[in-house]
Amino acid sequence: MYKVFRLALREYIAAVKTKGFIIGLVMLPIFMSGSIIAMALLKDHVDTRARHIVVIDETQQLGQVLVEAAEKRNSEQIFDEESGEQNQPEYLIDLQEPEPDLQLQMSRLSERIRNAEIHAFLYIGAAAIHPSVDMENASINYHSESAALDDVRGWLRDPINNHLRKLRLEDAGIDESQIPDLFAWSWIDAKGLLTLDEDGNIVDAVASNELQSIAVPLIMVMLMFMMSMMGAMPQLSAVMEEKTQRIVEVILGSITPFQFMLGKILGGLAVALTSTLVYVGGGVLFMQYRGFEAFIPYDILPWFFVNLVILLFMLGALMTSLGSVANDAKDAQSLSFPAMFPMMIPMFVMFPVLKEPLSTFATWLSLIPPFTPMVMILRLAAPVSIPAWQPWAGLVGVILFTLLVVWGGARIFRAAILMQGVPLKFSNILRWMTKG
Amino acid sequence: MNTIILDSITKSFNGFTAVDNLSLEVPAGSIYGFIGPNGSGKTTTIRMIMNIFYPDSGNIQIFGEPHRETHTDRIGYLPEERGLYKKMKVRELLKFYSELKSGRSDLKEIDRWLEKMELSDWGNKKVDTLSKGMSQKVQFIATVVSKPDLIILDEPFSGLDPVNTNNLLTAMLDLQKQGATIIFSTHDMGTAEKVCDYIFMIHKGKKVLDGTLAEIQNKYGTDTLKIRCENKAAGLASIDGVRKVHDFGQIQELRLTPDSDHQVILKEIMRSNTLLSFEIMKPSLHDIFVRIADTREDSHV
Repeated sequence: MYKVFRLALREYIAAVKTKGFIIGLVMLPIFMSGSIIAMALLKDHVDTRARHIVVIDETQQLGQVLVEAAEKRNSEQIFDEESGEQNQPEYLIDLQEPEPDLQLQMSRLSERIRNAEIHAFLYIGAAAIHPSVDMENASINYHSESAALDDVRGWLRDPINNHLRKLRLEDAGIDESQIPDLFAWSWIDAKGLLTLDEDGNIVDAVASNELQSIAVPLIMVMLMFMMSMMGAMPQLSAVMEEKTQRIVEVILGSITPFQFMLGKILGGLAVALTSTLVYVGGGVLFMQYRGFEAFIPYDILPWFFVNLVILLFMLGALMTSLGSVANDAKDAQSLSFPAMFPMMIPMFVMFPVLKEPLSTFATWLSLIPPFTPMVMILRLAAPVSIPAWQPWAGLVGVILFTLLVVWGGARIFRAAILMQGVPLKFSNILRWMTKG
Repeated sequence: MNTIILDSITKSFNGFTAVDNLSLEVPAGSIYGFIGPNGSGKTTTIRMIMNIFYPDSGNIQIFGEPHRETHTDRIGYLPEERGLYKKMKVRELLKFYSELKSGRSDLKEIDRWLEKMELSDWGNKKVDTLSKGMSQKVQFIATVVSKPDLIILDEPFSGLDPVNTNNLLTAMLDLQKQGATIIFSTHDMGTAEKVCDYIFMIHKGKKVLDGTLAEIQNKYGTDTLKIRCENKAAGLASIDGVRKVHDFGQIQELRLTPDSDHQVILKEIMRSNTLLSFEIMKPSLHDIFVRIADTREDSHV
């Protein structure tokens, strides 16, 4: 076993002592969370130029309301509370009478948008107040160059709908002032389950939030994915290079092919665990420092590390054996795609599993060995209780599967590692695995 | 005592028999030369000795015991294809190989070898800064630095200049004096003749020669006549009893038929040519190798 550890140590030092590792360690989370950080940094850096919006109101009853609502917003809501500086754009509403040739009118307005004279135009159909009477003319359309993502469109929704309700009540002869809170929205708070404390007292449910529901499982699975990319994926090309550079035979003069493969896997595992400890340790300290300790899933961390180690072992065996089959970089490239399936499938189904962790689909997928480590962690970290036997069953299954992968991988490795120029064929890989 | 005993070993790859029913005994403390054409089975035999390949049939004994993994700890192996970690420094690399082989590293021994091979100034340089010859010497040091009892060198001199070849030969002889058994494969018949206690030739997976140089040459007898004539090779091939003429320009080498008489042939040469000098000799290892390996040659003894 000494030789295995000595080789693993060489692999570890060769990877960790490079500038690339240090830079990667720092840059990886920055890249992964780059958009969140960018959004936070750019939150107050919005374009404050006034937005001119033309409104064509066929009902003749909504346009003026929008003008007043925009004026109210412009005077009250576009300034920073502390500094008093404007941090949001003004919305300036221009009312335009509908013309007989409406298409031509809208075409001209579109051209004005293209020429940056106005920001957008809103068309309110004649039957917008009572759509059920005349569905065809009830539509309200917002036209701009990026209508779907436009903040103005979102803002228009409230004043239009509030006033439409008022108009409908008036038409029905109902006095709005007689019904308090007629237009008050009710929000449904997300809460967890009630629990019992050590003395048997009922403890009130705590509020469930997005950080706990989504961020924790996502971060854990993303971390597993990143560590697999860091600790296991490079083994494929590393073994291929050692094979083509004829280093392998020198090493095989001192150790067996299995020891060689095991050393490579352990080296990659150590590299990935080093990074994981940095990230997890740093994350825990940060959360404690910022007072978010309640969100640290201490109970899941042991499962996370066990599943990560098994995943890295399984992928390491897969990558080293496939690396031994490759003759050049092109072979390695074409093998890397199928080799990533155990990581990619859980990433594809991450959101459906997270949404319904107890569904039949999520349960079965978490018990299929190649996907178990990532999918089970996703389910464990989700804010529901999965049956206690399932993580254990998944663990047993994935350990057995990993042993099978190591056994098959070792047979492929032994047969293929010294073969040069043998064409990359599935039949060859299968033959080496079954017959050694 | 024999360091290695190969007993009827056979190894095939996809129906191709690379080594066929091979038996060989390598005495302890000897230098054994493995010769044979490319693809004849030398490297496969060596890889079986190294436990990298397992024989399909037959037995291998190393150090008087059935072959097992731990034996490779006592074997230094220089493969035909050189391979070193290019980003490692020379001294670190030698330390790593030594530890991988024997579980320990002797830095003094590493420095001694670096000095012996005139590489002391390169100990802290990365491998990818070395020339091909230097890399080869580093690989040789990596093979012997753990003081193995058996040293296997596959084509150790390829790519080396004459000075470095001599350095390596001297080092090999020193290691033999210290008790190591050395096997080396080579295509340089001159070196094999000079250095090897025993020579083994494999051809198409089968053993075709095995013994001391004298034993091998005795099998062929004195069937070679080296001459120098005024008219060079003119008319030599037509003389009765001459099987083949190798014309080297200034010298002609005649291979005679087994029943021919040297005196009769010399008289016949002198009838039509002026003989300046002659030597009756045994065939060289090179000649024997070519006779066996070159299919255009007549069949050998």
